Amino acid sequence: MKFYVCIKQVPDVNAPIQIKEGQLLQDTDRMILNAYDASAVEEALKLTEDHGGEVEVVSVGPAKTTEAIRKALAMGADKAVHIETDGNRNFDSASYAEILAAFFEDKEYEVISCGKQSQDTDAGLTGGMLAEKLDLPYSTNAVGLDIENDKLIVKRQGDAGQEMIALPAPCLVTCSNDMNEPRIPSLKGIMQSKKKPVETIKLSSIGIDESTLEPQTQVTGYREKPARQAGEKFEGEPDELAKKVANLLDEEANAI
Amino acid sequence: MSSLLTHIAISDGKVKRASLEVLSRCKELAGQHGHTAEAMIIDPDAAEYVDRIKEYGAEKVYLVEDPIFKNHINIPLLKALNSVITQANPYLVAFASTESTKDILGALAAKQDAAVLSDVSTFSLTDNGVEATRPVMAAKILSDTQAKGDQILVSVRSGSYDLIESPSDPEIITVDFNFEEHELKATLREVLGASGDKIDLSEAETIVAAGRGTKDDKGQALIEELADVLGAAIGASRALTEAGIMDPSLQIGQTGKVVSPQLYIAVGISGAIQHVAGMANSKVIVAINKDPDAPIFDIADYGIVGDLYKVLPPFIEELKKIKN
Ligand SMILES: Cc1cc2nc3c(=O)[nH]c(=O)nc-3n(C[C@H](O)[C@H](O)[C@H](O)COP(=O)(O)OP(=O)(O)OC[C@H]3O[C@@H](n4cnc5c(N)ncnc54)[C@H](O)[C@@H]3O)c2cc1C
Ligand SMILES: Nc1ncnc2c1ncn2[C@@H]1O[C@H](COP(=O)(O)O)[C@@H](O)[C@H]1O
Repeated sequence: MKFYVCIKQVPDVNAPIQIKEGQLLQDTDRMILNAYDASAVEEALKLTEDHGGEVEVVSVGPAKTTEAIRKALAMGADKAVHIETDGNRNFDSASYAEILAAFFEDKEYEVISCGKQSQDTDAGLTGGMLAEKLDLPYSTNAVGLDIENDKLIVKRQGDAGQEMIALPAPCLVTCSNDMNEPRIPSLKGIMQSKKKPVETIKLSSIGIDESTLEPQTQVTGYREKPARQAGEKFEGEPDELAKKVANLLDEEANAI
Repeated sequence: MSSLLTHIAISDGKVKRASLEVLSRCKELAGQHGHTAEAMIIDPDAAEYVDRIKEYGAEKVYLVEDPIFKNHINIPLLKALNSVITQANPYLVAFASTESTKDILGALAAKQDAAVLSDVSTFSLTDNGVEATRPVMAAKILSDTQAKGDQILVSVRSGSYDLIESPSDPEIITVDFNFEEHELKATLREVLGASGDKIDLSEAETIVAAGRGTKDDKGQALIEELADVLGAAIGASRALTEAGIMDPSLQIGQTGKVVSPQLYIAVGISGAIQHVAGMANSKVIVAINKDPDAPIFDIADYGIVGDLYKVLPPFIEELKKIKN
């Protein structure tokens, strides 16, 4: 099967973040492949290793979106497309879905795989939007994938239980990081990745005029989340600690 | 005057509390801005839940009844939502941010060409459209976000709003719906391990959450005993769901569920930001961890530094005494 995996480069949430006048100041040296997309790449690699096929990654972003693409290629993806934006605009999930839909319009594939959400914004919208625009059957929050003839078998985590869903190809799936443990690129993988084809295309080549792409939603500012005050921390004899905290919960916190 | 339409989620034969929180908020906004609060129920037995909705002030309730809604399947649900929205022509469609909602929200927005704000913790109406707060960067930061357009969709984190009773006598509208087998491009083969009688984590008053520190049988037994004494729901960190020790639906955090109980007891959990993202809005947090520097203590109201195998037995005994 031919897999396209949509990958996004995101700021590392573990890097120090500062807010200045409502703007996020991020350490731009610490951009990473979205963790959920890493799981999507991993699963596509595993499935094509077992069943044959090809894995191509697609990323929309400014010129410096190289880290995510390099990582995916080093993990083992066969090739990459970088849809380059000018980087001065803030796009939302709907903008990315529109760009990706224009890209996929004339492509052939069995599966488009996305992450279930961006690790930095937790929006979780692009996959479903793209499926609707391309009129593909889809499933989200997959925790396991398998191939059965021309069908993709998705195990999805629902609210209470897990659902087994059969999607006829071509289809779209969004992946949870509960699906697998993404491989760490080997030295050989990293060396090989440098020779793999990366096609860079402009938005205009897929019929999109960046200046008229108007996001429907907009971030007007960022704020620190009011910090929780650390309470009391007790050390000592387990028996005494247990007793003390149980009684505080009862009498002071009224929580039991 | 426009309609603010709340989708009412049903689970295990009950209206989800989170949906009533959203309805309460929409009712409040409708009052402030001269709009009408409406609700929709999409379920095999949708009409059975109208009485419950009445308590929260919906002025119209749209019902879509079909056996296909027994299990969550995205294609028929999208079709039903589309039918109701076409008929009600709402300005705002609001959902509780459940996994089922997350499954359809993007596709619905694209289908309706509506602006969408997912997983918000507050939302209001302004001259500029809908303004909302969204936790971002693993919930370390809040972003103020705005959506403009003729129709706006929002999904709301559970626990964001209180229930406000406001009895009404709604007009009931049954929406025509039929679904043919061939429309079902994707097929649901099986539902695994749906937890029937377990307490819904997103509605639980008390949660006992187990982390890597509790991974052996003895640790698990202590967790169950503690939850039992408190009548608590059991949750888990990713370390345990990943290892297959706990059911994946119990995971709390960025990948898992967002919870906001009155009491959250974290046992053998380090407090990684992705875990904290799902539980930092708990009212009272207790942490039991043998590492005095574990980050979970930075947000705990009561921290017990100690070996959980030594702390839990007397803690459970003491709680039993208090409970009696
Ligand atoms: C994109 C992304 C999403 C994620 N989403 C989630 C999520 O939704 N939920 C989630 O939980 N994690 C999530 N994670 C993983 C998260 O980063 C942590 O790896 C995970 O929460 C760690 O689980 P833990 O605290 O149980 O284990 P650890 O970090 O290993 O901590 C175990 C703790 O137990 C203590 N301990 C051990 N033995 C004892 C004992 N005998 N007595 C007392 N204390 C003891 C240790 O001191 C330690 O602090 C996510 C990660 C990523 C990258
Ligand atoms: N700029 C982008 N380039 C490629 N894929 C993207 C991009 N933005 C979003 N996606 C895909 O959509 C998923 C997340 O959607 P969302 O949470 O809506 O941002 C990611 O995991 C990717 O698979």
